[in-house]
Amino acid sequence: MITFIAAAGTEAAEQGFLETFGVNWPFFIAQLVNFIIVLIVLKKFAFKPIQELLEQRRNRIAEGEEKLKRIEQELAESEQRSQEAIDKANADAARLITEAKESAASLSEKKAQEAVASAQTILAKAEEAAVAERKTMQTELKKEFGRLVTNTTANVTGKVLTDDDQKRINEEALASVES
Amino acid sequence: MTSFLSSSTFKFSLSLAILALGTGAASAAGGHQLPLYPESPFQGTPFSWISNSMIMVWMGAGLIILFCRAATKKMALVPAGFQNFAEWLVESLYDFFAGILGDHLVKRTFWFFGATFMLILTVNYLALIPGVGTIYQEDSSGHIKGLLRGGNADLNMTAAMAITFFILWIFWSFSEIGAKNFFAHIFASKGSFTGIMKVGMAIMFFLVGILEVVSIFIRPVALSFRLFGNIYGGEQTLEGLMALVPSYLAFLPALPFYFMELLVGLVQALVFTLLCAVFLKLMCDHGDEH
Repeated sequence: MITFIAAAGTEAAEQGFLETFGVNWPFFIAQLVNFIIVLIVLKKFAFKPIQELLEQRRNRIAEGEEKLKRIEQELAESEQRSQEAIDKANADAARLITEAKESAASLSEKKAQEAVASAQTILAKAEEAAVAERKTMQTELKKEFGRLVTNTTANVTGKVLTDDDQKRINEEALASVES
Repeated sequence: MTSFLSSSTFKFSLSLAILALGTGAASAAGGHQLPLYPESPFQGTPFSWISNSMIMVWMGAGLIILFCRAATKKMALVPAGFQNFAEWLVESLYDFFAGILGDHLVKRTFWFFGATFMLILTVNYLALIPGVGTIYQEDSSGHIKGLLRGGNADLNMTAAMAITFFILWIFWSFSEIGAKNFFAHIFASKGSFTGIMKVGMAIMFFLVGILEVVSIFIRPVALSFRLFGNIYGGEQTLEGLMALVPSYLAFLPALPFYFMELLVGLVQALVFTLLCAVFLKLMCDHGDEH
């Protein structure tokens, strides 16, 4: 190694440092031009389109994520609205059922009351009719009984009874029957 | 900055050591030594400006361009095949450099770092293809020269990349932080001092600034020699090891070093671009403080 360094040093001293390493203008400029061309070509045909595409994809992913967030938010809101609507519908249904039950109970009560009232009316009317019929029967019976008593009395006594006698005998007979 | 200088010097020495190890091995084996300089296979023709390393750079550049054309020919939002690989590569590199440079700087400069990394890596790996550096031709004067040579085993190529970066570094630094902040970063006194301390520190920082200028000008040199030294040293090592044994067993001692050279090729591509990115960030980051 020492020999090499010493040899390189001697060579450099003899030829000049840059000449030792073969650095000269034609080679250097050619390599410089090569390198610059490679830089320009890669910049234009490799990095630019790839970076643009990566940027485009990043934007699309960001947009997608943004949309996903919005959709999730809308879905949550929609679910909330649906739940609220269901809750409201359930509440309405419960209220309607309660009201219907209450209404049915009220109607039932009303109908029952009406039925009771109607029955009572019918009973009252029947009683009235019975009372009236009884009175009529009693009147007819009294008349018949009076006529029978008068006829019997007239047949037994053999005399013609006056109206006053008939009236008095009937009253006495009725009084004794009723008592 | 002093530590940077020491670090640069150490790396430079390391590169020379690797270079010397390879050359030493080849020399010890009595085999053909890979020369330190590139040669033109077209010497004596109008194309004598084309060197054997330049052919490898063209091949590397051609491969990258063909790959990129194939990857970007029919681009789809849902990637497949080449496009998928190219996107993975570009995105990984972009994220890597974004971690160093930040979102703003990486948008401006990624094309340079990405292209440089891909070119260095491809050219480094192409240099490992059997035949590169080991096929020789003899010219009319009896001089033996390699037909192909690793692209980065040529100081002209590494210097071209380092100097291009140096020019772009100055341009990016000026456009990002302005000339005033640029020079303030190098020469201005850091911290708040009063009285005599202020004057003393101003002189101190001015002198440190001069050293900083020296270090800035050393950067392209260090970048060039680090990459050149590592790649040349690796090739020389492979060639030297192959010469240690009979030719039918030549592949054997070199085989483990091939795996190491695969790693070195990647590491050196990373080191070159990473250092460039750090140099840029150091200067442009400082602008935020002013």
